Amino acid sequence: MAEGIIFSIEEFATKDGPGLRTSVFFKGCPLRCQWCHNPEGLSPRPQIIKNYNLCIGCKACEEVCQHPDNCIACGDCVRVCPRNLIRISGQRIDAASLAEKVKEHADILQKTGGGVTLTGGEVLMQGEFLLECLDMLLPLHRAIETSGYGDPSLFKKVMDNTDFIFLDIKMMDADKHKAYTGVSNEKILKNAEQLKYGDTDFVVRIPLICGVNNDIENLTKTAQFLQDAKNLLYVELLPYNLAAGSKYKLLDLKYEYSFQKPGDKELENARIIFESYGIKCKIA
Amino acid sequence: MNSAIERLLDYVKSQKHRIHRRELTKEESKKYASEFQIKGMPLIERFTRRFELFMAAEKPVILPYTRIHGLRTIIEFPDIYCPGELEEIRKTHYIHEDGKVCHLAYDYKRVIHNGLASERNKAKSNLEGANEKEREFLLCVIRCIDAIEGFAKRYADELRRLGRSDEADRLFDELVYGAKTLIGAMQSFRILHFAIWVSGNYNAVIGRIDQDFYPYYLAEKAKGVSDEEIQNLVEDFLLSFNLDNDLYYSLAWGDNGQSVTLGGCTETGACAVNELTTICLEASLNIRLIDPKINLRVSSSTPLELYELGTKLTRTGLGFPQYMNDDIIIKGLERLGYETEDARNYVAGACWEPIIPAVGFDIPNIDGIPMALIVKETITNHLEQCKSMDELLQVFSKRLKIYINENAENHRNLYMEPSPISSLLMSNCIENRKDISEGTKYNNYGYHGTGFSNAVDQLAAVEAYVFGDGSISANELIAAMEDNYAKTPEMKYKLSVEAPKIGRDKKTKGIGDKILNEFAKALQGMKNERGGIYRPGTGSAMYHVWHIEGLGATADGRDADTPLAANFSPSLGIKGSGPFSVIDGFSLPSLWLTPNGGPLTLELHDTVFDSEDAITKIALLVQTFIEKGGHQLQLNAVNGEQLIDAQAHPEQYQDLIVRVWGWSGYFVELDKEYQDQIIQRTSYGI
Ligand code: SF4
Ligand code: SF4
Repeated sequence: MAEGIIFSIEEFATKDGPGLRTSVFFKGCPLRCQWCHNPEGLSPRPQIIKNYNLCIGCKACEEVCQHPDNCIACGDCVRVCPRNLIRISGQRIDAASLAEKVKEHADILQKTGGGVTLTGGEVLMQGEFLLECLDMLLPLHRAIETSGYGDPSLFKKVMDNTDFIFLDIKMMDADKHKAYTGVSNEKILKNAEQLKYGDTDFVVRIPLICGVNNDIENLTKTAQFLQDAKNLLYVELLPYNLAAGSKYKLLDLKYEYSFQKPGDKELENARIIFESYGIKCKIA
Repeated sequence: MNSAIERLLDYVKSQKHRIHRRELTKEESKKYASEFQIKGMPLIERFTRRFELFMAAEKPVILPYTRIHGLRTIIEFPDIYCPGELEEIRKTHYIHEDGKVCHLAYDYKRVIHNGLASERNKAKSNLEGANEKEREFLLCVIRCIDAIEGFAKRYADELRRLGRSDEADRLFDELVYGAKTLIGAMQSFRILHFAIWVSGNYNAVIGRIDQDFYPYYLAEKAKGVSDEEIQNLVEDFLLSFNLDNDLYYSLAWGDNGQSVTLGGCTETGACAVNELTTICLEASLNIRLIDPKINLRVSSSTPLELYELGTKLTRTGLGFPQYMNDDIIIKGLERLGYETEDARNYVAGACWEPIIPAVGFDIPNIDGIPMALIVKETITNHLEQCKSMDELLQVFSKRLKIYINENAENHRNLYMEPSPISSLLMSNCIENRKDISEGTKYNNYGYHGTGFSNAVDQLAAVEAYVFGDGSISANELIAAMEDNYAKTPEMKYKLSVEAPKIGRDKKTKGIGDKILNEFAKALQGMKNERGGIYRPGTGSAMYHVWHIEGLGATADGRDADTPLAANFSPSLGIKGSGPFSVIDGFSLPSLWLTPNGGPLTLELHDTVFDSEDAITKIALLVQTFIEKGGHQLQLNAVNGEQLIDAQAHPEQYQDLIVRVWGWSGYFVELDKEYQDQIIQRTSYGI
């Protein structure tokens, strides 16, 4: 059985599908979206997270560390911090153990028409683990949330083994996509095509970032691309999160970008574009 | 909400009504006191005289926009005791809180329905054949009735002076001869409630207004009055509880016992949810003020819509409704000897304690039993000799029993000031010619079991590491606690972070249930001196703070400075849990054995409440908790960042309300230790 790496199991995720749900966050992502608010999900390796705000500067963590230049996430510093300010983000786990953990609350999830949502990071980056999870999480309702950036044959298998998919479509223009996310959108659109003509219910999520993808042209192209998708339930617009940079410092990273959040009117206009193509559109 | 109510709301919020208040001058105070602070004068006489004078000194004020009248104009009135007298009494008696009648759910319904005149007649007719003491009591009740009537008359005169004679007639006639209209019933309620606070009795619970006012509601409907009009009236009524609440005696601003209990079942067990239940919830949602606090009685048959309405109220950030599970609480009260009809009529007391309106004078907070300490002492003194977890638990049970027996001795010879006004408003006192302070049908005491989660977590840690994998020895653990984990940070980490915790790790539920069971067993069969029994509960009130004193570090990796868990909630700062684990961990099968109550507190980041869909999901979560057998739940909408910012800039957060234990309070007014605790509690927010 393959081992995967996750960074969080979140109970009562209210935004990730029907009913009461638990979301599991896979760690590691091949994209580098400039508006990413979840930097924990980027690296596929365990990392330490430190709450610098409350640090009393006792240096116990530094003294104990054997690998000051290249953290191996051994956890030694975590155990000595008198304030409990350090934790490791990233837990290796196999599908059976993960499923067992999630199913501790199977009664709650099933009774309320809910289930589990696998998200990240990018779930497709851990294909074998993902497929095993989807299998072992049965009979729960399973959803995944993905950027769609993955091998089309893997995507097909995932599609056939899941009940619901949230697919991000950031923008239609390939060059711009590469510039803002670090990868081309070719595979993403290919996988989106599979979804459009497949049997799995799905929702398209669009992070709406001013000056990046909120132009009429991009939104119109996206709507045109999606208009004949038979199992598309709706498009959900997620306005840029102004707090996107807030978690970087905890990981000793710097957030280098700054974007504007679209205004209400702009969001409304975007919604109208999708509705004009007969696509239901929600604003998150 | 109509425009008059909107204006009233602005008026109340801007505190303009406070211009009508005044302090008594020193001379006035002295003069008044000289009439009742008299050594040798029976206390009941003093109480009554004080009440008469205070009511007479109150000046009638008709505020703009409102139709429910009654405003406190005198800030403070001298007490009935001569200097040092109460301290003298304390030498030979146990005085609970201030020794005054308090925390009662009154029989407003009866007095409002019958009218004061009929109550006076009843008192008069009971004079016949009464002995001297009974006679004195009844005469005092009559004098209290006269004082209330005199007060109402002056309000009626004032209304007449303003050309509002219809209102004047209604106010007076319905109070004296019995309510006929919904507005009249609410007006009478206001005056009676006002009178309780004037008398010095406090934490006057509001109770089941959706039931008590329902006949009047139906009468209005029959006259063709719309629900919208009725809701405006209910809003007016609810607002009235915010006029004087800053003058009410309380441990902290907001803890004044003004709790409403809605929903639940009738005395026959049928569903009691009615149109007024919804109207009251919506009215509270509209006015968004800290008083009155709303408690919602629910059960496994409560429909999701009621939870959704409750969730919308939670979203306002007021810290209520508090959910009370009828399935657990009624069964639990019956086990303790409450008659079924009474148990079915329970209401939330000042915080969460189920009390019985009209016939109950329980003292649900007689004391707190420090569960975390008793577990710690069990470990420190006996772990080395114990060979198994079972043995350790047996020792714990014994120590718990010993502690309780000793503690019960502290409350012997209870002193309670008489109160003819509370006697008027409870059932059967007039018939029995006996003051309420001497007791009534139910005279039980309630014990809080405090530090519950820290108690469970300590035992769970011992089970895992001392008896389990053997990675920590008994004396290592005891030494580390002694040293407050100063030299053993790794052990502290293991115990505080990795060890099993209730509300996160399912395997701790057995220990949790065992503790509840043992608590109930230890109190079983005990009688208090008032003829009542002892009720075990899961609340902590202030005790989880007081009980840190001298406790030191505990075996769950908690260091000496970290607060204990409040009420029936997870230990502070546990990571990796979530709402499902919490509701699952705290819905323990033995909860019905501990019906003195004490809620699970669940904080959700307020942004979770951002859509209709999210409201439904939160409602589902609450419903699930109740269906799993949880007993009480307080759900808070809290924003952690907001709270940290509020600490730094309190001036910008004057309005921020949190629910701390049984009550809602303004965050910026709380001591830092509470603020820190609340901030830590938001850690499993979404
Ligand atoms: S986890 Fe801490 S102690 Fe271990 S290598 Fe990383 S920084 Fe050093
Ligand atoms: S051990 Fe903790 S408190 Fe000490 S320097 Fe490191 S992070 Fe700060």
